[in-house]
Amino acid sequence: MNRKFKELKHDLLFHIVITVLVFISLYPFIFMVISSFKTTEELYHNFFGLPSYFEYRNYADAWREVSPFFLNTIIVSVITMVGVLTLSSIDAYVFARFIFPGKEIIFILFLSLLMIPGILTLVPRFLVVRDLKLLNTYWALILPYIAGGQVMPVFILRSFFSSLPKELFEAAKIDGASESQCFLKIALPLSKSILFTVSLMNFLNTWNEYIWPLVTVTKAELFPITVGLVVFQSRYSGSATWGPLFAGYTIAALPIVILFLFTMRYYIAGITSGALKA
Amino acid sequence: MKSLLEEIVKKRNCYLLLLPTFVLLFIFEYYPVFSAIYNSFFDWDGFTSPRYVGLNNFIQLIFKDPVMSVSAKNITILTVFRVLIAITIPLIAAELVFNIFNMKIAYVYRALFVIPMVVPSMVNLLVWKFVYNPQYGLLNKFLKIIGLSSLCRAWLGDFSTTLYAILFLGFPWISSLWFLIFLAGLQNISPDIFDAAKIDGVTGLNRIRFIDIPLILGQAKLVLILSTINALQGYVGIMVLTSGGPGNSTMVPGLYLYNNAFYFNKMGYACSIGVILFSILLLLTYINLKYIRSSEESQ
Repeated sequence: MNRKFKELKHDLLFHIVITVLVFISLYPFIFMVISSFKTTEELYHNFFGLPSYFEYRNYADAWREVSPFFLNTIIVSVITMVGVLTLSSIDAYVFARFIFPGKEIIFILFLSLLMIPGILTLVPRFLVVRDLKLLNTYWALILPYIAGGQVMPVFILRSFFSSLPKELFEAAKIDGASESQCFLKIALPLSKSILFTVSLMNFLNTWNEYIWPLVTVTKAELFPITVGLVVFQSRYSGSATWGPLFAGYTIAALPIVILFLFTMRYYIAGITSGALKA
Repeated sequence: MKSLLEEIVKKRNCYLLLLPTFVLLFIFEYYPVFSAIYNSFFDWDGFTSPRYVGLNNFIQLIFKDPVMSVSAKNITILTVFRVLIAITIPLIAAELVFNIFNMKIAYVYRALFVIPMVVPSMVNLLVWKFVYNPQYGLLNKFLKIIGLSSLCRAWLGDFSTTLYAILFLGFPWISSLWFLIFLAGLQNISPDIFDAAKIDGVTGLNRIRFIDIPLILGQAKLVLILSTINALQGYVGIMVLTSGGPGNSTMVPGLYLYNNAFYFNKMGYACSIGVILFSILLLLTYINLKYIRSSEESQ
């Protein structure tokens, strides 16, 4: 009890400062969720308070508007994630386990991509996609995402695969396992959590892409959620229909926030290991 | 020579496995880099045949284009401000959480500070756009409540406030990513060091100054490099909030590049802006890396 009290006395000032900081940081989102349950009239005369009753129709209205965009983002994010994961785990395995002429140069070529800012390549990449006649298709998004999304995963997975004990693979080889069996039955199962981390990071990156879909996809039925939300925003805030607008924002944010509340551990582990390697 | 060839043939599977990735990278990454640099010497609308203009695009951009000078001024202000914020405020937040005795609550705080990162960035920007809404926005309503309604204004439409409104976005600026990087650095310091410091009477702010900060310099420099790169080429926020307006008063190079390419069909000119930004980023990263090495050697 005494120890608890001392702990609290030491922590009290920290608790106060942190709580204030957290509250201010999160307040715009708290406001967004609260307002998403208010009718527009109620927002005007009860701006900061809690809703007097829950206006669920806001969500029905908003869902009708944003669900197609939502579906597009999920399709593109999932295919991209599968592509990135497949290619980058194979590449990382090759870089980690084999020695072949030119390996160092190829790897440096790969790492040099870290130095290339997206802003430099935006215009020529758009022209490439245009000339390949991919504009206004999912592939205009997926293929460049898979290409550019691999750098960090290969980097992270390579160092993970190198850290696996060589004896494991040698023993499997003696028992007659082929190289692909070593990869599928030993390396991948041992890397489940890092693979999960890498997929989450990739998923979030794709989810947040705005500029690239804005230039490569002009058909509204292919818009991802980011572009769709901006369209939705200009329509609903133009007519000052705030309730459904905030419901739409909440719909766009909620699945990701919930996904990450359950998987935060993996996500933080990924960032932490990256931060310490630097 | 023959043995090298034999070796390559023998290991052909390695190359074949890497091939799909490198085909994609060549099409969507390597080729665009060279294409960007090549096109920056041309006057090109993206359709008709390009006209070689030498260094004219660069001369025009650096010396004669008033929009580019406004952009350069704005991006300098924004970058300096954001980088200074990035290496101080998230560090303070990380120190606060790190110094709490109660581990369970510290874990909860960490999770709360991470939430802004997992809210899609577009939702964050649009909510902030509402914060600044002149009629209904959170900021003006709040000012009215505390009796400062004289300060109310169209924050994003007023020449004198727009840039400040953009700087203020995200207040209190505790970026989840930088926060996590700093916290990881602090948690990685060996407890023995803190014990030794305590015995020597180095506590509180002194400990932070003489022990914590020198030991997380690596993380601080990572944040410095990454936040510089982000700030210099970022423009989504400005695009969504003001489109560079009113007038061109909040224009930044990234958005100007975008406008040149996709509104004015000036592909060559847009590529020149990209090349200038790329050169500046390379230079800054080089200076950063050089500085990191020398300061770590001196320790």
